[in-house]
Amino acid sequence: MDASVGKTDLSLLLVRDALIFSSLMIMLSAGLTLTYMTTRVPNFAHGDFATLNIYLNLALVRLLNINPYLGTIPAFMLGGAAALVLYLAVLKPLMDRGANYVILMIATIAYDMILISLINIFADYLNRVHKLITRLFQLKGFDIEIFGQPGIFVIAPILAFVMITLLYFFLNKTKFGIAMRAAIENPSLAEVVGININMMYAVSWFISGGLAGAVGALMPLYMTCNPDIGIRLLISIFAASILGGLSNIYGAFVGGAVIGLAEVLGTGYLSVTLGPWVVPYRPVIPLIVMLLTLLIAPKGLAGVDWKKFLRKVG
Amino acid sequence: MALPIPLTFLIDLLTLFGIFAIISMSLNLEFGYTGIPNFGKLLAVAGGAFFVGAVPGRVLAYLFNTPAGSDFIKNNLEVVSSINQVLMDDPVISICYLLLSLAGAALAGAALGYIASYPGIRLRGDYLAMTLLAMAEVLKIIGDNWEPFIGGSLGVRIPDPFRWVSGEYRSLYVALTIIGVTAAIFVYLEFVSRSPLGRTLRAVRDDELSARVYGKDVNRLRIKTLIVGCAIAAIGGALYSFLTASVSARDFNRVTHTFWPWVMVIVGGAGNNLGALVGAGIFVTLRRLITFYKSYFEAFLPFDVVWLEYMLLGLALIIVLLYRPEGLIPERPTKTLKYEYIVNKGVTRTKPKEGT
Repeated sequence: MDASVGKTDLSLLLVRDALIFSSLMIMLSAGLTLTYMTTRVPNFAHGDFATLNIYLNLALVRLLNINPYLGTIPAFMLGGAAALVLYLAVLKPLMDRGANYVILMIATIAYDMILISLINIFADYLNRVHKLITRLFQLKGFDIEIFGQPGIFVIAPILAFVMITLLYFFLNKTKFGIAMRAAIENPSLAEVVGININMMYAVSWFISGGLAGAVGALMPLYMTCNPDIGIRLLISIFAASILGGLSNIYGAFVGGAVIGLAEVLGTGYLSVTLGPWVVPYRPVIPLIVMLLTLLIAPKGLAGVDWKKFLRKVG
Repeated sequence: MALPIPLTFLIDLLTLFGIFAIISMSLNLEFGYTGIPNFGKLLAVAGGAFFVGAVPGRVLAYLFNTPAGSDFIKNNLEVVSSINQVLMDDPVISICYLLLSLAGAALAGAALGYIASYPGIRLRGDYLAMTLLAMAEVLKIIGDNWEPFIGGSLGVRIPDPFRWVSGEYRSLYVALTIIGVTAAIFVYLEFVSRSPLGRTLRAVRDDELSARVYGKDVNRLRIKTLIVGCAIAAIGGALYSFLTASVSARDFNRVTHTFWPWVMVIVGGAGNNLGALVGAGIFVTLRRLITFYKSYFEAFLPFDVVWLEYMLLGLALIIVLLYRPEGLIPERPTKTLKYEYIVNKGVTRTKPKEGT
């Protein structure tokens, strides 16, 4: 086999990887942005909403022999429930007491510690009682094949697309969604016209956690998973959301796609040119994107005046 | 002569308490006094530890002419044990090595603090928290993967500055050293908090605009605070490395060195140094007790007890935030003149004028 064939194969693999990872990042950063828009607090537990469901799906697939893609439905529920508990039991009472955003951030970290504990307890339990490998594992062997490609390559982008579309129709075409946007954009005015703000916020937290949960269920089909994967995800999620502007859900879609592509393609091509030692430094890419965004366009892609920008450039 | 068990327990407790007290006091300076939400505490702590792992050992190896061609990382064990042979017989060099390394770690921490202050003065609180968290995580990843630096995932052993104290008494000496450093930092921070600078920092925290109205350079104060805070935290990280006589990036993560100090500061009470001390004390005592009775639980639980500890800490933090957000020892308001006093003074001062 000559070198050029090897290269195209690698490019194909990288593009495939990048597409899958981008799809997952889109769903994650959209969720984080949605909750940031409602409660104005960056949720440090967001990565572990996904990690929790990595292990739920592991248990479902290995113990109950359920198709890993069906696992996304209970994962959506569990992720949503975890987020709902965070909002209703922790953040809402704190906000009622007039806590500032630092206190809210610490509260999400405290909740994250509880999640980390639950994830590890569950992983230990699966390992010791059911003899499953729960650290550094994959579920690629349980994936289905579509057109000779692993199913995740087809299903992750489709799922991301469906979620975006559903979210778009929900926020723009349904009465409930419009009420939710009103509650986000102007809470006091929304309250005056009789919208139950608390209800709206709770629903957006549920959707946010649910999206992260669905991502978590898909994750072991794509990459090696470990209980501490949440922190690595969190950096990418923050970078994607900041790039998207943190105040615009469509910005988060673009941010997630860009971060996903940049991380996978960047690490992939750099490891070809510089050597495989660059691979572990992958989280440097989202950090650089984050810093550049904050320095050049602190309001993110959504905050850039594109018409003005085009006029300047063109 | 062996030390009695209660004493070794106490020594253990004091050692850990000292290290965490230093870190939480530095966080208290940044968050409690100046209001900078430093969610990248790990950055400075790991920075100090990594410095101690990478630099002083190499310098000593150079000074003591360890076998030619031996690399500090590749032949780590041989190099370090030959340095230890020298340090064992020479208390003066050992103490100099310790103090100079701590000073170097503080400088490294200050440099990291300066880097952290770049986003620190430009970003709003929540953006800053995310950025610092990511920066800390990247430093950890570098330490974990770049082998020539501190041995990558295997870590590196460092020369032991406490080697000249024989056997059992080493731990006592380590504990006393750490407590000594902790006390010195506590006294320094108390002076800072009672000085005009301390009041200015609180003004920056409570109302940035008024502080600026009175001509205070808020950005400069923030940079200074981050530099000093990170230098102190780096000393904590360096002391931890000397305690174990090794450095490994695996020992440092966002839970142990960012979240736990936050738990300590919030539980103890932000905005006063005593609160940070009390928070660290309670935290370390609870942890030690849990570790002490760990084997008892381990027998019938199908998971590691450590995770139960995480859950308890998370719950405790949420409960404190909800029901006692000011912490166990609340910040005392700065004493100002009493209203009556001001009024009376005003009367006595205006009276003579009326007379004339």
